[in-house]
Amino acid sequence: MRLKTAILAIILVISLASCEARADQRYEAQFLQLFDTITQIIAYTGDRTEFEGQVDLIYKELEEYHKLYDIYNDYEGVANIKTINDNAGIAPVAVDPRIIGLLEFSRHVHETTGGNVNVAFGAVLRIWHEYRNAGIDDPENAKLPPMELLMEASLHTDIDRMIIDEEASTVFLADPEMSLDVGAVAKGYAVEQVALSAAKNGFSSGLISVGGNVRAVGIKPSGEYWNIGIQNPDTSSLNQNLHVVNLDGMSLVTSGNYRRYYTVNGVEYHHIIDPATLYPSVHFDSVTVLNADSGLADALSTALYIMPYEEGLALIESIPGTQALWIGHDGAIQYSPSFSDYIKK
Amino acid sequence: MRFFKKTDIIIILVIIAASLVVWGAYRHATRKEPPRAEIYHYSQLVKIIDLDKGEDLVFSIAEEPDVVFHLYPDGSICFEESDCPDQICVHTGRISAPGQFAACLPNGITMKITTGDDADTPDLVIGGRQED
Repeated sequence: MRLKTAILAIILVISLASCEARADQRYEAQFLQLFDTITQIIAYTGDRTEFEGQVDLIYKELEEYHKLYDIYNDYEGVANIKTINDNAGIAPVAVDPRIIGLLEFSRHVHETTGGNVNVAFGAVLRIWHEYRNAGIDDPENAKLPPMELLMEASLHTDIDRMIIDEEASTVFLADPEMSLDVGAVAKGYAVEQVALSAAKNGFSSGLISVGGNVRAVGIKPSGEYWNIGIQNPDTSSLNQNLHVVNLDGMSLVTSGNYRRYYTVNGVEYHHIIDPATLYPSVHFDSVTVLNADSGLADALSTALYIMPYEEGLALIESIPGTQALWIGHDGAIQYSPSFSDYIKK
Repeated sequence: MRFFKKTDIIIILVIIAASLVVWGAYRHATRKEPPRAEIYHYSQLVKIIDLDKGEDLVFSIAEEPDVVFHLYPDGSICFEESDCPDQICVHTGRISAPGQFAACLPNGITMKITTGDDADTPDLVIGGRQED
C-alpha cells in the first residue's frame, strides 16, 4: 500500500513539476519615444499584469533620464543638459543629482579613454550634426564641414572647464563657446541606473535595450543565459548574425557606422567623430563591448571604435571584466582574448 | 493479495492520459514556428508577414502609405523606401533572423522578426546604435 501511494505521488509530482517549469511567461514591450531610438524590454514574469507593472516603472524612470539628458529640447520644470549648454559662460545651473552623476561618470570615462570619449565635444559634434542633417535633407548639395570651422570649435572642448559643484548640485560651463553632448554615454548610463533600480523592484529576469545598449538582469527562469545576436555590419550578407553572445546579468553594446550617416560625393560619412582628426573615425565597421556596467560598455564601444585595434585592446585589458569584438571594413573579426568564453557554442 | 487493485490501475492510466494530453498541448503551443515579420505602427501590430513562402512582395501599410517594405524570396525583408528624413530604416538593410529589428522612428514603425519561443534563437539582436 505504501509503495502504491509512493508511485502515485511520484507521478503527480512529475506532472506538477512540468507545470512549474512553465510558471513564468515571456513578455515583450517596445517604445519609440525615448532617446530618439527604440527601447525594448523582454522579461519572464508570473503574468502579464506583473510584466506591465514592471514595464511601467522602467518606462517612467527612463523617461525622466531622457528628459534630463536631452541636448535638443526643453521640458517644463526640468533643468537638463540643454539648460546647462544654454547657460554656458553665463551662470551655474542647479540640476538633478542624476545629471551630476552622469557628468562625474563622464569625467572618469574621459580619463580612462585618454580623451577619446569627451562629453565637452559638443561644439564639434553640433557642426557635424547640422551638416549631416542638411545633407540628408538635400543630398545633391550635401557638404562636408570646413576644417577651419571644426578647428575653431575644437578650441572649446576642454572638459576641465565643465565646473561641477556636487554640494550645490550645480554645473557651469566656464567657456561660453563650449557645449555638452552626452550621446556617447547617456543611454548606457541611464540603462544601467534603471536596471539597478528595476532589479530592486523585483525585475529579476529580463533584458532592457535602449537603441542597442542591452543590459541583462539575471538569467532566464530555465537557468539558460540570455542570447544576444551581434548583427553583421554587411547588411546585404545572408549571414546576418555573426555571433550569439551568452549574457548573465551583463551588458553588451555595439557602435557601428552603418545606420546613421550621410553621403557626400559618393562617400559615406558616419556620426562617430575622432577627436584627433575631427572627422569620422575610419578604423572599423563596428565594435562590440561586453561589461557588467552598461554605462561603461557604452562609452568603451565609442572609444574602441575611434582607437586603433592595438590601443583599444590595451585599454580594455586594463579594465577588468571587459571583452570586445572588432569588425574591420573587410569583414575580418578580431577578439579580445576571452571574448570566445561568452559566444554561444 | 494483489499489488494493484483495478481502480488503482484506472487512476494511474487516467493520470498518464491526462499528462499526455497536457504534454501534447504544450508541444503544440511551443512548437518551432517559421520566422515571421511583425510590423507595428506605434504599439499597434498592423501586419504579420510569413517569411518562409518564397514570395517577392513590395507593400505598404495603410497607416503610412509612403513607407515601402520589400519581402524577398530568400525570406529577408527590409524598409525599401521611406519619406523620413534620416533614412535610418532604409540603411538598416535586409533582416531575416529572429531577434532582429528595424525601425522608422519618424513614422512610428517598428518591424521585428519573431518565431516561437525557441531556445535556439537570440532574444535580441544588436548592431549599430542609432545616435551619437
